Amino acid sequence: MRRGAIVRITGIGIVIAILVFLVAYLIPWLPTPASEQMKRIEHVYWFVTVICIFIFALVISVLVYSVLNFRSPPEDESDGPSIHGNTGLEIVWTVVPAILVIAIGVVSAIVLSQNGNAGTNPMTIKVFAQQFSWRFEYPGSNNLKSYELVMPVDRNITFKMNSADVIHSFWIPAMGQKQDLVPGIDTSIVITPTRTGTFTLVCAELCGLGHATMRAPVRVVSQSDFAAWVKDQQGSGGTGTDGAAVFSSAGCGACHTFTPAGSKGAVGPNLDNVAADAKKAGEVPAAYVKESIVDPNKVLAPGYAAGVMPGNFGDSLSAKEIAALVTYLTGAKQ
Amino acid sequence: MSVVEHSSPDLGHGSGAPPHRRGILMRPGFVRGIWCFALFFLIGLYLVAGVRWLAGWDPVYDWNIIVLVGGLVMGPVGFLLGIGAFDYWLYWVSGRPTRPDDHANHGAYSWKDYFKVNTDHKVIGVQYLATTFVFFVLGGLMAMLFRAELAQPGMQFMDTQTYNGLVSMHAALMIFVFIIPAFAGLANFAVPLMLGAPDMAFPRLNALSFWFLPIAGTMFLASFLAPGGAFATGWTSYAPLASEQPIGQVFFNMGVQWAGASSILTALNFLVTIITMRAPGMTFWRMPLLVWANFTTSLLVVIATPFIAGSQFFVMFDRVLHTSFFVPEGGGYVLGYQHIFWFYSHPAVYIMILPGFGIISEIISVMSRKPIFGYRLMAISLLGILVLGFSVWAHHMFVAGMADWLRVPMMISTLLIAVPTGVKVFSWLATLWEGRIHLNTPMLFALGFISMFLIGGLSGIYLASVPITIHASDTYFIVAHIHYVLFGGSVLTIFAGIYYWFPKMTGRMYSERLGKLHFWLTFVSFNLTFFPMHWVGLVGMPRRVADYSDRFANINLFITISSFALGASVVVFFYNVIVSWARGPIAESNPWRAMTLEWQVSSPPPVFNFDEIPQVVGGPYEYGVPGARHAILSGGAAPAEATV
Repeated sequence: MRRGAIVRITGIGIVIAILVFLVAYLIPWLPTPASEQMKRIEHVYWFVTVICIFIFALVISVLVYSVLNFRSPPEDESDGPSIHGNTGLEIVWTVVPAILVIAIGVVSAIVLSQNGNAGTNPMTIKVFAQQFSWRFEYPGSNNLKSYELVMPVDRNITFKMNSADVIHSFWIPAMGQKQDLVPGIDTSIVITPTRTGTFTLVCAELCGLGHATMRAPVRVVSQSDFAAWVKDQQGSGGTGTDGAAVFSSAGCGACHTFTPAGSKGAVGPNLDNVAADAKKAGEVPAAYVKESIVDPNKVLAPGYAAGVMPGNFGDSLSAKEIAALVTYLTGAKQ
Repeated sequence: MSVVEHSSPDLGHGSGAPPHRRGILMRPGFVRGIWCFALFFLIGLYLVAGVRWLAGWDPVYDWNIIVLVGGLVMGPVGFLLGIGAFDYWLYWVSGRPTRPDDHANHGAYSWKDYFKVNTDHKVIGVQYLATTFVFFVLGGLMAMLFRAELAQPGMQFMDTQTYNGLVSMHAALMIFVFIIPAFAGLANFAVPLMLGAPDMAFPRLNALSFWFLPIAGTMFLASFLAPGGAFATGWTSYAPLASEQPIGQVFFNMGVQWAGASSILTALNFLVTIITMRAPGMTFWRMPLLVWANFTTSLLVVIATPFIAGSQFFVMFDRVLHTSFFVPEGGGYVLGYQHIFWFYSHPAVYIMILPGFGIISEIISVMSRKPIFGYRLMAISLLGILVLGFSVWAHHMFVAGMADWLRVPMMISTLLIAVPTGVKVFSWLATLWEGRIHLNTPMLFALGFISMFLIGGLSGIYLASVPITIHASDTYFIVAHIHYVLFGGSVLTIFAGIYYWFPKMTGRMYSERLGKLHFWLTFVSFNLTFFPMHWVGLVGMPRRVADYSDRFANINLFITISSFALGASVVVFFYNVIVSWARGPIAESNPWRAMTLEWQVSSPPPVFNFDEIPQVVGGPYEYGVPGARHAILSGGAAPAEATV
């Protein structure tokens, strides 16, 4: 009887384990790794998954078996056997899970230390976040500034991060690593990109009204393409004089609707109406737009609160970039 | 209604003046509550205006401060005074005659008594449950609103302020004024009965703690009316974002204070009750596990809740008094907020699950007709969770930028919490083994709880592992995890508890058929709603976003439709509860043939619970032991109804 029960539970358990394993294996639960760190995270993930499938199958098979076999009709008023416990069994189910979770802890701690190791001669990229845009600086390339994150493939990169206002969080899903940017302290993270391509950097920490659209383009390129990009950027002096490029790279579209740029942000005023708004404020459009970028709280579009638009674009954008942006927004035909 | 059938509402105690001679304006009640609120609001207003005028500050009428002092602090105190929560104490303090033996405010004789300050723990228990389910419905409707917005990428129905407000409000209502106090309500009803006590140790304090709760919930909801909209920084409301928000944020800061004060006072009451008011023979090792669970939970509440109170005061002071607790420019430490907040809010997840463990232990044992397996280890594992629960808070901060060395120790302690939790799950399974399982509604919810909490626990193992959490934190994987532990865990146990004690509370039986329908609808739609969130989070969708990448469109539409089904399933529950309460068949005193003390008295129990203090002679789960008794009551039989 007892042996029969164990055989049947094992049978149910194996069926459940196979089904769950298929769910775990056939569905791509993690993005295709694009960094060394994400590959290691995937290893830990599978290590944990195997243990979890075992525990899940064990518990559910006993549960299902009990319900199927020990179910009693409502009119049955008998009691079950008065088993109060079993010390041996209780020790086993305290000690075995403890060993399993410690094993998970050890594997995780090893991977954590590997994922935090930047190796020798890492490249450094500085990351600055503010509501609701990202900015990057390359100290090894003459403090080159960019609103697009461009990384050479197969190079250890240390990101040194800082936030100007509230907490943001740096996450490129396919690369796994995530780190908050905290005003007042410096944080860092290591990423080693392993394949070229385009990705998206998203903000993962609720940071205000534009949080959902606080994203930045990410490009991983070959070492030689990276060198060429740096050279090109330094030659053109940053994002340059293309207003459309400044608009997208400075993250304006996260909050503002502007039809020429195809943006649909709804946090700030609709920039398609910038001429009408300038008229209401009694200013020429060019001066009004420039003022609104540099000192956004001076004149507020009706229905919008002060303090939502960051006040530091006057510093973070060059005079050339602001001029390009103003031309672009005041109706420069493309 | 849970009304004790009684020939006359007059208990005939004492000879003091009848309490209801005063007119409607002066009588304790909602009318007096409203004008006292207004009066105290004005006092607060002129206090602020007076100080500002004397100091020469401009403007004298600073509405940001007036709303805080007048509306969120003074006004509620006035309301409590008005409904009569302080009457007895004020009489005593001012030397006027009190009526210590007049139990006019004890017990419920008509439905109106549920809307008054009442000192009967059974009435307060029902008051808690009714109030918390109002907030449950509102919180659920808000979830369906923002799920509607998430059905498609882009913005369709609302702006991001409204979206963030709804998300934050949903969590604040569900955590602070639904799950935590719903457990307090169930425990309020059951614990004194299970101990063989006539009531809680401090009945008036008990009443006061309950009335803090509608204040807290109303305060959260009122922030929708504040200029700038409701608080919109999530229920975590991290500084410094929360320090610079519109005034709605202050409603959250203060609402948490009222809800927290309610929790702390209730927990103190439970501790004193459990320690000092156990019936003769009720040793600690003879207490039902529900009592053990609430004992442990109350210790957690008393130790941890002051920390969230502190964190919310500090954030508010940064804003109102221009302190710099969390403002880096003034030398503040931003991560300090998270450390203090999570030092409460991690134990809070145990505050929201341990009472559920207690409920499940009762139900599994009774419905399997077997003693709970490993009773002492079950109690000890609760204490193990209590101790470990205070050493894991920083696992919410693995990506927050805190000191690196903290991560591995916090990971190990987090993983170790799986051990006492596992002990509980395995012991429930062993209790089922060879039992006589009765698959009625409470038992279905209990078994549903075990399987869903298992999934939540296992996804918690993933989240304990630091490298995985670094990828998964702040994504929908977290949303899936917390809903598996808080909905699949806590809420299913609350439903289980309500069905289990429904006959005792109301004296009537619910419909088994509707109960089972409710279970299966909830179980299926819950999984369809929350299981896909694991995937959508791991592949790259952050949480708390009003808009998302187009590639997540189909799965989000699916989740939204499922969530509507989940919302609809609750309708079955309300229909069942309301109709059964009014017209259900009269319940026996012990329909489950349980041994614990609450089932040995009539349904509903007499006003003072026991005619004679019971004598406890054995354990609470001695099913299958021939001739075993948990307690001996007068005459050995259940007493007739309501012989006060």
